Amino acid sequence: MATMMVDDTIPDFDYYGGLTTPTTTTTTTTTTTTSSSDDDHDHGCTWNDWSPVVDWDAFSGGDNFQDLIESMIEGNNSSGGLNMNIPKSTTFYNSEDSVLMEESEESNNNQSEDVNGLKLVHLLMAAAEALTGVNKSRELARVILVRLKELASPNGSTNMERLAAHFTDALQALLDGAASGSLPKSMFSPNYKDEQQQGDVLAAFQLLQDISPFIKFGHFTANQAILEAVAHDRRVHIVDYDIMEGIQWASLMQALVSRKDGPPTPHLRITALSRSGSGRRSFGTVQETGRRLTAFAASSGQPFSFHHCRLDTDETFKPSALKLVRGEAIIINCMLHLPHFTYRASDSIASFLSGSKTLNPRLVTLVEEEVRPVGEEEGFVGRFMDTLHHYSALYDSLEAGFPLQSRARALVERVFLGPRITGSLARIYRTWGEDERCSWGEWLSAVGYRESNISFANHCQAKLLLGLFNDGYRVEEIGTNKLVLGWKSRRLLSASIWTTPDSDL
Amino acid sequence: MIKHQSTLSHRTCSVSYTMTIDEPEPNPTSDPISEWLDGTLSYIPSFLNELYSPDDFYGDSWWVPGESIDQEQQINNNNNNNLTAFNTRFDITTASTIPLEPIISSQPTPLVSSKKRKGNDSDYNPKASRNNQNRRIKDADDGEAIVDQRVPTKKSAGHKKATHKSTGNNSNNKEGRWAEQLLNPCAAAITAGNLNRVQHLLYVLHELSSLNGDANHRLAARGLQALTHYLCTPCSTSAPCASAGVTTFASTNPKFFKNSLINFNDISPWFRIPSSIANSSILQILEEHDQPPNLHILDIGVSHGVQWPTLLEELTHRSGGPPPLVRLTVITPTIEKDQLKNCPFVVGPAGYNFSSQLLAFAKAININLQINRLENYALQNLDSQVINSSSDETLVICAQFRLHNLKHSSPDERTEFLRILKSLEPKGVVLSENNMDCSCNSCGDFATGFSRQVEYLWKFLESTSVAYKGRESAERRMMEGEAAKALTNMGEMNERKEKWCERMRNVGFAREMFGEDAIDGARAVLKKYDSNWEMRVDEKDGCVGLWWKGEPVSFCSLWKIDTNTNESWNSQSNKNHV
Repeated sequence: MATMMVDDTIPDFDYYGGLTTPTTTTTTTTTTTTSSSDDDHDHGCTWNDWSPVVDWDAFSGGDNFQDLIESMIEGNNSSGGLNMNIPKSTTFYNSEDSVLMEESEESNNNQSEDVNGLKLVHLLMAAAEALTGVNKSRELARVILVRLKELASPNGSTNMERLAAHFTDALQALLDGAASGSLPKSMFSPNYKDEQQQGDVLAAFQLLQDISPFIKFGHFTANQAILEAVAHDRRVHIVDYDIMEGIQWASLMQALVSRKDGPPTPHLRITALSRSGSGRRSFGTVQETGRRLTAFAASSGQPFSFHHCRLDTDETFKPSALKLVRGEAIIINCMLHLPHFTYRASDSIASFLSGSKTLNPRLVTLVEEEVRPVGEEEGFVGRFMDTLHHYSALYDSLEAGFPLQSRARALVERVFLGPRITGSLARIYRTWGEDERCSWGEWLSAVGYRESNISFANHCQAKLLLGLFNDGYRVEEIGTNKLVLGWKSRRLLSASIWTTPDSDL
Repeated sequence: MIKHQSTLSHRTCSVSYTMTIDEPEPNPTSDPISEWLDGTLSYIPSFLNELYSPDDFYGDSWWVPGESIDQEQQINNNNNNNLTAFNTRFDITTASTIPLEPIISSQPTPLVSSKKRKGNDSDYNPKASRNNQNRRIKDADDGEAIVDQRVPTKKSAGHKKATHKSTGNNSNNKEGRWAEQLLNPCAAAITAGNLNRVQHLLYVLHELSSLNGDANHRLAARGLQALTHYLCTPCSTSAPCASAGVTTFASTNPKFFKNSLINFNDISPWFRIPSSIANSSILQILEEHDQPPNLHILDIGVSHGVQWPTLLEELTHRSGGPPPLVRLTVITPTIEKDQLKNCPFVVGPAGYNFSSQLLAFAKAININLQINRLENYALQNLDSQVINSSSDETLVICAQFRLHNLKHSSPDERTEFLRILKSLEPKGVVLSENNMDCSCNSCGDFATGFSRQVEYLWKFLESTSVAYKGRESAERRMMEGEAAKALTNMGEMNERKEKWCERMRNVGFAREMFGEDAIDGARAVLKKYDSNWEMRVDEKDGCVGLWWKGEPVSFCSLWKIDTNTNESWNSQSNKNHV
């Protein structure tokens, strides 16, 4: 009965039940590892064709310049015969690029795509420059955006076209906002869930799970660390900052009940934090998640209790609001900014992580986006290009995972990624020039958390997981406590584990 | 079709026009050009008769020659038929094609195979040349077709213009001039050898450039052509890449060229005002005491003859009648010299010669005109013998927009040439020049020079955008293509008014004030153009400046030999200046 209900709402709820015991298959892992961490992958596929532009510093020398200019020319040539005598009178540009592109030879198609992608990257960068650079020019930014809108489309056939469409919209919003003096608040934390059809969100979430390892990578790595940390405990209390659908805990429960050695299955208590500001929906969603988890626990024989703790109105966390039981191992779980998560304000996260420290947690599991540190001199444009690079890698990885399902990908992009791009750009635009926040991992280290070791098993599990997806994914271990999920040369997401110096472990 | 109609209705057909106008004061609504043309009827092909019928030249744009009207028609056709609507934006891509291949000399890169070059060159592009050909044929056809479409109604001159004023970007702040915000940084990056930056900006320029857009898009297109040309120059010695596929004076046919030029004068004061002032000055000099009766004009200009019918017409209105003999010595620019090829507005199409028509016109209005064309004559070799001047004539030199092609330093050809002019002992010298900073290599690095050239072209493109009311035409393309040569002109160009005046004084000329007729006449002429144009008379030096949107474009000055100074002192002081 309970399972059926779960299946109705989140069909894939127990999808990865079978994946939770990967540690034994080390042999398979090795091969996967070799290929996925192979640097040669950087030189394959379409990525390489415009990555030099993004890795601006790495880009140098005449040959490349020559090639790129040539390719630029090729693109032009494929546009067919010049004709200076017959003017267009209404629009300066129309769709002749694409039309003529289709006429060009098949063998040129890939190249044309790349050239178009390159075009878009250059235009986006120029627009970002015009918006903020030394030669700031709103008029120039406006003109570039007009051109971008002609070239890019959220329904475009290439990743860059669709990606550029979202970036263009975001830049346009910044330009308009800068004109009116303030950015619309909705830009910073676009509440897509209110606007989108709930069905779309669920479907997109489902697709994201299936076509990419992003969600599972974070959950699995965190869960494995939790399992290892509470191996001998009778009571485990997980405080979850953003529980979402609670899908992470189903797999944990399965792992806990199937433990062969050690003490009997411990009692699991989960306290989910919820935002008070977002109204009923947030509260209701958390309650619903609780019911689902309770039912799942009952069906799988996991002793379980669920609690709900609201954040303050300003989303700050008060440890005193938690109900604690003496002797329980406290786990702080902080999943940030997974592709389908809503944006959470820095202050709120900081209050949660620093407040948690007073609870003396056994373990802190942190999953966050990897952001390349950008020097101050690079300013907004540097951050902008990094963001573009980040999302383009994300788009590429999704395409690789689901090459034929363009509509499915489009749904994921529209529902999750588009709004996130808007939010990201608005934030870097606002904070541009201010001291940039380091990663939360560094922040944890700075406030006195200690690195906890990622186990070999955990590392292997991550590699095995990625082996199930496209081999463009790779995992790398950074330091002792952090695994990074990357797509080719780009780091996308990291999972790190921490503990407190006074921890009872 | 409605648009069409309105244009046609302004093409007036005043058959009853009389050749003698008794008004002594300058009358900007009279039309000597049409009379010139009228007088030449027997000398030109019959199909031109309709075009060249007498009319009110200043009144309005009946002078829009057949080509441009056809142009509109064609645009309309294109709008209706997407299949034939080729995009002119690709013009730029062709032109930029070749230059792009070889790169800056500091980064030697392999040259691309000649096969590729050929493929990219518009001259070798069969599709392109076919289209061009079609185009030309069409132009010719429509030149005839227009005849039947003329609507013999007369409209008053001023009103229509007013409604079309300032359709361009009205603000003069640099904010709206976005093309320069890409072109100048790109030139700076080239100077700095920052290839990444160059590449990035070229990409962006490429995306935003269009030969059909507003002035900014056009400037971006022309600028991109020029930059890529510059980038290719160190590698290619032979290929004139910048001119490939660009319509210029030299690439058109003489008839179209002349019609276009006349129409341009009708819609833009760029050359019209300097011509008007020069003509008035000639009259002014002639009226002075004790001047020999015959008039000898030394034409070192860019008017390609279009300026002179007006003067001849005005000469017939003199109280004492026209001079017994009017001589016109025209120094036609040297075509062979590559440097000149890149100087805007100087070189006309091959085979263009206005002499016969002008002579016929003079005959028709009873002026005894002699024309002497000195073709391909180096300016430096001029002397009294060459121009065959004599003491019984009033020699007036009209140096208009030509002297800036001379070197201004090492050696100072400009001063040298002014000295030659002085040695001809003219009764007056009219000097008109662009009033802008020099863009040559010795006056600044490439980026500096380029930004100045770009600024020059911006003024031209922005003003032509208004002049042509934003409409596209073969005529406009030619004028803009010609002006865009400024960007690829690597030689010296332009100098500020103050420097020119200094040079004139140093060789022994003294400034002469323009008469009221000249000033008032020019002002009256200017009224019919866009209100962003203005004329400013400098109280200090007496020069008349032509300004666009509050920025100087050109100046006119009038000089006589200074009888109070001696030449040797001047040449010495001049040497110090150099």
